[in-house]
Amino acid sequence: MADYERRPHGPRGEDDDYDRRQRRRYEEPLFVKIRRQLLTIAESAARRVEDDAIQIAKSVTDNYGDEEIKGVFLDTAVDLVLEQPLKIPFIAATVLAANVLKSEPVSDILKRAGESLQKYVNAGAWREVKLLLRFLGCLQGIFEGDGIFPVLEEIFSRAVDLQTASSEDLLGLELVKIILFTLPYAMASPATGFDTQATALLEKTDIIASTPHALVDLVNPFSLHEGKPTATESIISLMQKHLQRESTQSWELACLPRPWRRIYESLGAQEDVRDEGAQDGEEDRSPNSAGPGPKHAFPQIVMPNPVGNGARAIFPEIYLSVYANQDIETVPPTTDIASSLLRDSLVDTINILDFNRIATAKYLIDVDCYFTPNTFVKRATPFDRLRELSTDRPQWKPEDVAVDAVFSQLFQLPCPEHKFVYYHSVLTECCKIAPAAIAPSLGRAIRFLYRSLESIDLDLSHRFLDWFSHHLSNFGFTWKWSEWIEDLELPAVHPRMAFITGALDKEIRLSFAQRIRGTLPDPYQEFITEGKEKDTPDFKYLSDTTPYANEGKEIMQLVRKKASDEEIQPFIDAIEEQAKSLGVNDPLLPSTDALVTAICFVGSKSLSHVLSCIERNKERLLAIGPKSPRAQRQIITSVMEYWVDQPGIGINIIDKLLNYTILTPLSVVEWALVDKLEAGTVLAKTHVFEMISATVGKVTNRLRQIVAARTQPSLYEPQLSVLDDTLNREKADMQVLFRVIEDTIVSVAGGSNDELMERGDGSGTMPEDEIIRRWGQRWLRVFRRKAGVEESFIIEAMARAIPVGTVAPPAFEDPAAYDRAPLDGDMDIADGVE
Amino acid sequence: MSTLLHNTVERLDRPSAYYVGKNKRRKYSQDDADKQEEPVDNLKNATTLYVGNLSFYTTEEQIHELFAKCGEIKRLVMGLDRFNKTPCGFCFVEYYTHQDALDCLKYIGGTKLDERIIRTDLDPGFEEGRQYGRGKSGGQVRDEYREEYDPGRGGYGRAYADDQRQREEEDYGKGR
Repeated sequence: MADYERRPHGPRGEDDDYDRRQRRRYEEPLFVKIRRQLLTIAESAARRVEDDAIQIAKSVTDNYGDEEIKGVFLDTAVDLVLEQPLKIPFIAATVLAANVLKSEPVSDILKRAGESLQKYVNAGAWREVKLLLRFLGCLQGIFEGDGIFPVLEEIFSRAVDLQTASSEDLLGLELVKIILFTLPYAMASPATGFDTQATALLEKTDIIASTPHALVDLVNPFSLHEGKPTATESIISLMQKHLQRESTQSWELACLPRPWRRIYESLGAQEDVRDEGAQDGEEDRSPNSAGPGPKHAFPQIVMPNPVGNGARAIFPEIYLSVYANQDIETVPPTTDIASSLLRDSLVDTINILDFNRIATAKYLIDVDCYFTPNTFVKRATPFDRLRELSTDRPQWKPEDVAVDAVFSQLFQLPCPEHKFVYYHSVLTECCKIAPAAIAPSLGRAIRFLYRSLESIDLDLSHRFLDWFSHHLSNFGFTWKWSEWIEDLELPAVHPRMAFITGALDKEIRLSFAQRIRGTLPDPYQEFITEGKEKDTPDFKYLSDTTPYANEGKEIMQLVRKKASDEEIQPFIDAIEEQAKSLGVNDPLLPSTDALVTAICFVGSKSLSHVLSCIERNKERLLAIGPKSPRAQRQIITSVMEYWVDQPGIGINIIDKLLNYTILTPLSVVEWALVDKLEAGTVLAKTHVFEMISATVGKVTNRLRQIVAARTQPSLYEPQLSVLDDTLNREKADMQVLFRVIEDTIVSVAGGSNDELMERGDGSGTMPEDEIIRRWGQRWLRVFRRKAGVEESFIIEAMARAIPVGTVAPPAFEDPAAYDRAPLDGDMDIADGVE
Repeated sequence: MSTLLHNTVERLDRPSAYYVGKNKRRKYSQDDADKQEEPVDNLKNATTLYVGNLSFYTTEEQIHELFAKCGEIKRLVMGLDRFNKTPCGFCFVEYYTHQDALDCLKYIGGTKLDERIIRTDLDPGFEEGRQYGRGKSGGQVRDEYREEYDPGRGGYGRAYADDQRQREEEDYGKGR
């Protein structure tokens, strides 16, 4: 089995080249060929997929006695349904072809799909359920009776139960989504005569799908009222409308492929004609055709009551397109069902295949192979050329549709399924495979996002920034900066200026200042200051005009010589005494400044250097916080001032200081949002947002780990109470953190911040004042959402936790327990806190 | 995330052919084959990656900037020339979790850092001494005999360059 598993798809392929050449001399066994044909079905625009489907069906049905062939057919077909959703209609078509020829393989695959479906239903893995139902929906024509409809009805009744039980329910919405995304495939199948049932089902789903959920606003990428028209329609309410329209247009479903048509023609099988009146199709079929083959019972599926949810948290989804509002529609408009159908298949493909970004990119580029021919314009048709094409059919660019789907995930709120960098890597691969086609599409996406910077969710604008700089780093840092030159006149706090400075900064972090300077047109040169090109920033105590210059220099020399604590102490004392005599009310501040600045300077060569400096002076640094919270924040000031020209390095050091617990998360938040708020202008600095997000992320991650430890199965006293205490304590700390953020920013957002009101003429009506208030509102939204998401995560997880006070059952009671994962007594989390 | 036994496309988060091959060779060269751990077992909780094909000029900060996109970095060990103690084009990146290391193979291996395609490989873990190049002249073995000029990795391979120089000197003498 292993040999044909390792087909070259990735960069590793070359390694096996030699081996494979040797092997090619042998004739490929039939089962290997069948697997290969199935795996690559519909991939080639040069071949007719119908011919391939028939050929596979023939090979399988002719040789079904062969166990290897049987096994490979059943495994591969179902695996493809689960891993490559774009191919489902074609796998189904192969099964339809097989059914004309022989019944057994079809009943076997239905059985296999049914078992798989049951497994995923039980596990609450709803995406997999959706895909298996889609596969079965495509086979509606060969089922007895009502086929898939009773299952859909049952799913609906579970959704109703959930929705009735709680207005905040999200799982019910997910179930309705499954129904809505199964229906079109059943209606595009060879089955006829189900219009009434489909319409009836749609009438029922309408109430749930069309009622806006309270959380929809939370995940809205464009929240500000003054900005873009808000796109608050959820994906299921859109889909509901699409289907209602299709139901009045005899289910045209133009983009869905119908490979079975040509297959039935070739095999001499007529479509299953079943009119509304005759419920039993068998008698009606004209007796002289070969027919689509025997009918099968729909696999038995038991829906648990109530149903549960698996590992993936559910949030409402909103349809986002970076190609909205163009003068030519290069992607399906949200009024067309194709927008939902294409997006759904592509998004699943992207999220399922995260283990091979190169394959993902290839399927995205090949998107036009998997839908009705001519759904799209030819690949790589330039945008401007679209104007010359006739307008009587859609002008959708396959590249735009593909790229749009990736962005929809990168910009998914509150967060996408995978790490952001996965979506970066997919776009990079797309660009590598088809640069001429993809690069211009990305260009238009970038321009859309850039224009939206004032209104887009702040979290998303940072994801954009991070992707943009990372993407450019993979393509020689080339970007047409010249087109934004006009914006350089804007005030520094303007979101566009914040983006430009932030992007250049991130580029430098992935490269180096001189290199980036070389990629920029003249007006941008001033952004690459001399300080940014300096590997080692100056040590301020070398200048004698700096207060405490001598002591500063001494401390630096001692830090460099790895001197002991006792040797450093006299100079610390000297600074503090001088400070006292000068009337400084917290002498610990100047001494901390000297020590931390010295550490930064001595450790400026690399992260390892600064870390070993910190390590050596750890005890002294750890002692600062408990003595004075202000001095603790002085540590941050010193680091960020030393690295003022390269704030990326600064926040990295802050991050490590948090790990050492030399800093507390609260100190970082207070430093940025209280000490350095500067009338709210600090909110426009991208690295400050990065620093606060990272700090908050550290706290929430830790809490999630504690929750995971607290909610593990078969956990008993006394561990239960220990973990529960830890959880409650840290949860309270988290709430304090969010409260401080809320309280400080709310005054900026509302325009009532004292400093903000004192700016300029004090009227609060300077043009920049409005911009700063908007920053405040956007910050607030991000951290309120974060607080809400974490809070509900804990509540949900704890609902399933073993209550405090539960003691372990006697060991002999349940011998089966030995088979389950035993508790290994791992109390890391709790240990770490004590 | 797909949980199938056999995926329908290759996974990018497996140990490389190099790693598997190296262990196979080692395994067969020993009499007592059982002693050798299976490479896959060896790596099943690995949190460390070997990162190769770096430029000699790529800094820790740059590596950190890119690799932190897959999770918090626990430790970063730069590969150094055995004699000069200068970076020689590789490093070890250690994450806190196995999943972060796998994600790094999937999302970062084969992409560019400092404008070079970098290579990542799952590694059983850093041990003191492994930070040094094993080539004759102190760098990595691959940089000894490289015939292509690579400005990011010290020009031509060192042994190759020495060879060339010697040949040129001899030719020069002949011309006289």
